[in-house]
Amino acid sequence: MIPEDVKIIFRLIKSNPVSLAGLIIVAGFIIVGIIAPFIVPYPEDAWGEVYHMERRFQPPSWEHPFGTDAMGRDVFSRVILGARFSLIIAVGVVGLALIIGIPVGLVAGYVGGKLGTALMRITDMFLAFPPLLLAIALAATLGRGLVNTIIALAISWWPWYARLVYVQVNSIKSLPYVDAARIIGLHPLAIMFKHVLPNALTPVTVQAALDMGSAILEAAGLSFLGVGVKPPTPEWGLLVTEGWTSINIAWWISLFPGLAILITVLGFNLLADAVREAGDPRLRRILLVGRKI
Amino acid sequence: MPISREYIIKRLILLVVVVFGVLIITFVITRVIPARPELLWAGAHPTPEQLEKARKELHLDEPIYVQLYYYLADFFRGNWGVSWRTRQPVLQDILSALPATLELVIVAFIIAIALGVPLGAIAALKRNTWIDHVIRIVSVLGASVPVFWLALILQLVLSSWLGILPGAKRVDELVVYETGFKPITGFILLDSLIEGNFEVFVNALHHIILPAIVLSFYPFGLSARMTRAVMTEVLSELYTRSALAWGLPRRLVIYKYALKNTLAPVIASLGLSFGYTIIGAFMVELIFVWPGIGLYAAMALLSYDYPAIMGCVIVVAIIYTVINMIVDIVHAIIDPRVKL
Repeated sequence: MIPEDVKIIFRLIKSNPVSLAGLIIVAGFIIVGIIAPFIVPYPEDAWGEVYHMERRFQPPSWEHPFGTDAMGRDVFSRVILGARFSLIIAVGVVGLALIIGIPVGLVAGYVGGKLGTALMRITDMFLAFPPLLLAIALAATLGRGLVNTIIALAISWWPWYARLVYVQVNSIKSLPYVDAARIIGLHPLAIMFKHVLPNALTPVTVQAALDMGSAILEAAGLSFLGVGVKPPTPEWGLLVTEGWTSINIAWWISLFPGLAILITVLGFNLLADAVREAGDPRLRRILLVGRKI
Repeated sequence: MPISREYIIKRLILLVVVVFGVLIITFVITRVIPARPELLWAGAHPTPEQLEKARKELHLDEPIYVQLYYYLADFFRGNWGVSWRTRQPVLQDILSALPATLELVIVAFIIAIALGVPLGAIAALKRNTWIDHVIRIVSVLGASVPVFWLALILQLVLSSWLGILPGAKRVDELVVYETGFKPITGFILLDSLIEGNFEVFVNALHHIILPAIVLSFYPFGLSARMTRAVMTEVLSELYTRSALAWGLPRRLVIYKYALKNTLAPVIASLGLSFGYTIIGAFMVELIFVWPGIGLYAAMALLSYDYPAIMGCVIVVAIIYTVINMIVDIVHAIIDPRVKL
């Protein structure tokens, strides 16, 4: 995105308290995700391989702000460390999806022809599945685990990016500067990667960054259905699920990790909303001029 | 006549192609990716004989394209394997569970549209006021809340603690038994109305409220956001502005021109949200013990019931494709600008 666009986005975000809240949430989540292992009050509890019989099912208190779970572990510590795992999942899913999706879209768009058509048909086949369903099927085959969860989600995810890049490349490749590069005899690969790709990259990376919230949400869903990460990994969706059996006597075990998911994903989605509005030229005009209709 | 026969035929052909695509991908997932596919199909602790039997049934000794042929042939013959949890043919299980899910999803969508469209329109009309901000947060919340967590918390508060709404099942068996209710189509709300059995109708309605509200969050958020976005755009179009400039009443312009043109894209977007909602139904049905395909799929996942899992995946993917086709056609009928 050209700097002016970034400036406009930031101006819009600053002018709108709701968007600003989204930005703050996302920034907070990323910071907590990075420093989580160093700030958890009970590191052993956070990683999960302990059993404190003497303090099972304790309600929230000063000592344990989110209470303790069925194994006496401090829920607060587990939720904080969960941010790290959600961050890993979010970055992993989106990153892997980009690694598959960008080359497919680039080749399909730039080379075109039969190869391009074939690649886009395969992409469409994947898009025929509703979101999460393909990931569920894959995760059920691959088995539980952090890496498998990331792979399953990324494989159901890359077609969206392939499409986005394809559309971009298609509109870029007929621009005069690309023709010029072709005429002076640059290698097609050089044109593709040095001249077309950089200009097609911005919308897809922005989209990918904002999709991280959905990745967190879907990973949590996989955990709940028993095909996500393995216990005792403190992934938020799994934490909610662990509290399910005892929810009638200890609601706090499920409540807080779910709130963590809700707030984080909300932050990403509010930000996505703001960026989408900023990207829409007509809405941007209305917003910048500030004229009421 | 805004819609041509060729268009519908073209969409039907596309539907067939997509179903083939779905089948090929599920084939790759179940037969090509796993090192030993028979392990997935032979049950939790298979004996060597069971494994051998599974190998035979899956034709694993044949080359891959022969396996694909048998896979497709079995699919079209309705031979989808036997669930090892229920010991019933998978297709039969799925068909008997489908009405419960469709009923739930339809009610959820009715709630979502009835709330989402008006709130989205209000947000667009009151752009950048506190009303707009509140509606925006609520609608973004709908897309951000983990549906299983929402289901657990609402079930706990409204059902277990306050006792306002029932927190499980579709209907009380006692009421069904006492009134001699017999399902016809499997849609309890519809069947009880047909039979004039209001006791069952009220009971079933009471049961559906909580799971339907949980499930409606996502499509509600989407329809509100879509309505707001499209409405804002429509209001800035020349034809609405000139209608206002002509001195037509604002109310008339909003209802007659703006809202009408807003609906088509909103409906189109709801078709896409259907996919997400039906996956949400997997989790909601598991929590509310709602005997639909979602509960069936979720139980299958939790017990590694592989034939059942893949059956559900295929059925849901096909329903999703069909719904999107219908939505596209409806969209084309409502909005003559859509090129066919």
